[in-house]
Amino acid sequence: MAVPVALVLCACSGGGGGGSGTAPPPAQPRDFLTADDVGAVIARAVAEARARNLAGHIAVVDRVGNVLGVFAMQGAVPGVRITSGLGTGGGLETPMPVVPAALSAISKALTGAYLSSQGNAFSTRTASQIIQEHFNPREQQQPSGPLYGVQFSQLPCSDVNRRMEDGAVGPKVAPLGLAGDPGGLPLYKDGVLVGGVGVEVDGVYRVDREITDVDSDPEELIAVAGAAGFDAPDDIRGNRITADGRTFRYVDSEALVTSPAQAPSLSQAAGALVEVAGFTPASLRAGVAYGSAASGVRADDGAFAAAGGWVLANAAGTPRYTPRAGAGGITAAEASSLVAQGLRLAARTRAQIRRPLGSSAQVTISVVDLSGDILALARTPDGPLFGIDVAVQKARTAMFFSHPGAAAWLSAAPSARYLDASSAPAFAAYVQRTGEFLGDASPFMGLTAWSTRALGNIHRPLFPDGIEGTPAGPLSTDFARWSPFNVGLQLDLANNQLIKAVGGDFSIGCAGRIVGTAIGPVEDAGLPQLRNGIQIFPGGMPIYRGAALVGAIGVSGDGVDQDDMIAFLSVANAGRELGTGLDNAPHERRADRLAPLGSRLRYVQCPQSPFNNSTEQNVCAGL
Amino acid sequence: MFARACSAALIASLPLGSAAEERLPPERGPDQEVIPRRPGPSEPLQYFPPPVDASQVPYPPPSARRETLPVTDRWRIMQALGVKSPWFDPYNQNVLKGDLPVFKDWFVNLGVVSDTLVEARRLPTPVGPQTTDRPGSNDAFGRGRQSTLAQTLIVSLAAIKGNTTFKPPDYELRLVPVFNVNRSQLEEVRALRADPREGRTRTDNHVGLQEAFADVHLRNVSSRYDFDSIRIGIQPFISDFRGFLFNDVPLGVRIFGTRDNNQWQYNLGYFRRLEKDTNSGLNDVGARPRREDVFVANAYRQDWPMLGFTSQATAVLNVNREDNRQLYDSNGFLVRPAVQGDSRAHSYTVGYLGYSGDGHLGSLNLSTSLYVALGRDERHPISQRPQRIRAGFAAAELSKDFSWVRIRVNVLLASADRDPFDNVATGFDAILENPQFAGADTSFWIRQAVPLVGGGGVALSGRNGVLPSLRSSKDQGQSNFVNPGLVLLGVGADVDVTPEVRVITNVSYLQFVNTEVLGVLRNQAPPSKQIGVDLSAAVQWRPFMSQNVVVSASAAALVPGKGLKQLYDEGQRGVQYSVLVNLVATF
Repeated sequence: MAVPVALVLCACSGGGGGGSGTAPPPAQPRDFLTADDVGAVIARAVAEARARNLAGHIAVVDRVGNVLGVFAMQGAVPGVRITSGLGTGGGLETPMPVVPAALSAISKALTGAYLSSQGNAFSTRTASQIIQEHFNPREQQQPSGPLYGVQFSQLPCSDVNRRMEDGAVGPKVAPLGLAGDPGGLPLYKDGVLVGGVGVEVDGVYRVDREITDVDSDPEELIAVAGAAGFDAPDDIRGNRITADGRTFRYVDSEALVTSPAQAPSLSQAAGALVEVAGFTPASLRAGVAYGSAASGVRADDGAFAAAGGWVLANAAGTPRYTPRAGAGGITAAEASSLVAQGLRLAARTRAQIRRPLGSSAQVTISVVDLSGDILALARTPDGPLFGIDVAVQKARTAMFFSHPGAAAWLSAAPSARYLDASSAPAFAAYVQRTGEFLGDASPFMGLTAWSTRALGNIHRPLFPDGIEGTPAGPLSTDFARWSPFNVGLQLDLANNQLIKAVGGDFSIGCAGRIVGTAIGPVEDAGLPQLRNGIQIFPGGMPIYRGAALVGAIGVSGDGVDQDDMIAFLSVANAGRELGTGLDNAPHERRADRLAPLGSRLRYVQCPQSPFNNSTEQNVCAGL
Repeated sequence: MFARACSAALIASLPLGSAAEERLPPERGPDQEVIPRRPGPSEPLQYFPPPVDASQVPYPPPSARRETLPVTDRWRIMQALGVKSPWFDPYNQNVLKGDLPVFKDWFVNLGVVSDTLVEARRLPTPVGPQTTDRPGSNDAFGRGRQSTLAQTLIVSLAAIKGNTTFKPPDYELRLVPVFNVNRSQLEEVRALRADPREGRTRTDNHVGLQEAFADVHLRNVSSRYDFDSIRIGIQPFISDFRGFLFNDVPLGVRIFGTRDNNQWQYNLGYFRRLEKDTNSGLNDVGARPRREDVFVANAYRQDWPMLGFTSQATAVLNVNREDNRQLYDSNGFLVRPAVQGDSRAHSYTVGYLGYSGDGHLGSLNLSTSLYVALGRDERHPISQRPQRIRAGFAAAELSKDFSWVRIRVNVLLASADRDPFDNVATGFDAILENPQFAGADTSFWIRQAVPLVGGGGVALSGRNGVLPSLRSSKDQGQSNFVNPGLVLLGVGADVDVTPEVRVITNVSYLQFVNTEVLGVLRNQAPPSKQIGVDLSAAVQWRPFMSQNVVVSASAAALVPGKGLKQLYDEGQRGVQYSVLVNLVATF
């Protein structure tokens, strides 16, 4: 099913402004990419590609995901094949290059921008390292990557992330979710994160399975050339940041064959800026300065101002998620308190993925109700942007699977139809398998409180996580057919709408949509509780009042143990402070009471040495 | 029959006959000075015999005919007189103990040592990341009580050729298989084995080959039996008096000997390190030897610079080429390369230059070692680029004996790395240390391997190691020169309460030199340098006043300083400790 890119749903151009009630300091040119900057980045990448006799698509985005230009070199391959290299097929793996190459370049650029911050520079190579079945990839007996599943975030069907029709405000959706194919890097201007560059040359959208070698990946080298002059500061690159002692991969090689400073200007390059429907017109645009009203992410002047929180705002400058009461009984004050607790905790929390050492965690915190509606959302100023969508995904996932209606809702959803025309299991089969696995006749009917960590435990291709030769968790694809593009329930829920979006359907609602034979919006609601899909790595916790589920909290942006702790302690602290009975799940309901196949599930894990300037340890014990 | 033939040969070789008589010196008058003279340049001793008692029976003149009494051989004189001891009695003449030859001048020596260890301890123990033993395990640290039982049987088989009473043996063949069974128990899953389904206990066993060599006495080079020998095979080697640098049983070739009436001793060695069994630490000869070579040249000089003090100069080259494959230990954890930084395999070449001394300065005892390490790591996994290695080490133990009490003062300095990302590694690491220092294996810090929980697959310091070198495993890992270094200041006392009972106590203050690398591996602000105070006491009981049965019991605790509290949870869970009982029975 080759899909033409040219189906234009919306061709509005973004660019500047959008008024705001608040008046943040005016953006300095050093805080954003000018159109000339964008042209320079593309020109340098093009020159490197030409010197290597390669042609491809180069995309540049700003920090909040606005696509500032996509250049198609003469002779660029039009489409990409999605493959993990595992040869398993299924899921998003495609035997043919059916996905527009420009979408790959955009997702890669977005990934470079979204995973990075002022404290960490991560690339698509970093993403590849942290989404596989082991961390590090292929290190035997090791659990999966800490961000296993993050590739299925920022989806084009997300209700949290914005689209081109929303103007310049971000964060914007990524056409293929986040990318693990090397060739996507963040861009910094005088040390300020201003965007990302993505390169698609070889027609293959993949992950790096073997990280112990040193690759000389043309796509990555071309991206390095493009980022020249906009390089990430050495000290915050992923290769100086550790998780469990392991540094992240940033780039493998920087051995360029051109001198980027001498690259000819873009006007002399063979090829053209292209329009990508739903993402960019065929022109260069300036980016927005992150933090300005135009960016849609700014300092709060409301409930979270005191805690230093930033919020999302729409093009008119109005905060999108002011605290409110929700279905299930969480009050506006409670929602506000939960998020404010999270902000305060983050300020004390030792960051796992940031430099310099001793930095505070930077995260996004969201609270949802039993309908999946966002009751409050705020973030610390420098949290990586990907965490906005993911924080909501985590909260919704924890709420959904802890909800008494989950089994029925899931079972009613239509199956996924994969790109290679094979079919996924029926969702009812996932429920049934889970019941058999857990020895529970009524799984997902509200008896068990599921954190996203616990749910992730049974959504891995190996159970216990990462142990060779074990069976898959009941929500995962069997290991024989598994790949990062065919993970099981998480993809299956979003698969149909993701494919439709490749074809130009940008309607909101990711999970449980039906796949249409025709291109274009199809009138189905999907699962309203999971409008931006589910997420299956730690940081989401259901919230209870007594024995009753009332909502959930999701935290994303730092190490997964930090995310977990901030979510868990925010609930505990808010409950204690408010005295309204809010709390984490009753101990006996938590998923860590379950020990399928003799291996107990994890509910929460708070990190070692959790707080800066402190000798406190084990701060979640007994809660 | 062999014995009889042997004694016949001996009798035949006795110096009978006139030719021998002619070489005798002329008789001296009874008032003449007798000057027994040793070969070599030593000062002649002066001996004046007492005045002759006229009533005494005079000496037989040297030329007088001597009477000889034929006996089976000189080793069996006592047997000829009817004194016999059972075969299992090691205290009397025993053919198994090399007291009697088995064939001509071939002797065998059988040694059997049983070592039984019961150890209880509390160490920082992570909970399983995927699964835990108990619900409600909400934090990174779990319960830390651990116990180990280990039974080791060392069988030493040696065949020795040579008239060993009078001169070094001509040949020695030795084989030492070691049988080990060990069982460990923890309170958390996945600390013992990478697969959490294996549970909280682990039982393992291994047969290691700790020695298997042939030793050939090449030649004597002086009338005092200064010699050159060569030893080929799996053999013990200790690089210095206290085992700071290289204390191993590698496969190798070593030429060694003495000069100048044993005043000089030397070693020239080439060793290839053998893979170790993970849980016993014994050689694993079934595995491919490591791609790591050690070249050693050292010389010892007795009574230099002063009487009673031995000095040693050492040059050691350690060449590690383990840059092309990964190794998982038998518990399923990646140990080479270590899980830290980018975990890409790497190689290194390090030269060590050292001086060690051991002996007395008047009534003071001093044992000291100084090393510099110079070399190159081809690509350290944290800096991810080549690094020069420039590190240093100094240790000294000064002690003084007051009758039955020995008071010790210990000082140790190991340099630290300052910037893990630069192109020079300045933290000291050894090849395979096993230091007999500062309480050694009764002290907590030296005995226990404490994992750097949350900082990768490395331990703060290895088992029976003093250096905080952040290796995956002391036995199986590679050296690591990007480490926080160490300052150790200690005092201790060895008290011989009775001939059977010795009490050993030790207090050591421990401090890192630079904690930047700990900060990097844990991604936290570099912790305080204070490790804490290591308190230990041991009682050694030798019920038969011999080494044949030795019972040791020891207890040690590490009172944490701020740095340790910033790394581990002992501020809440209680101090790290170890308590052990060890029974060694030797035949």
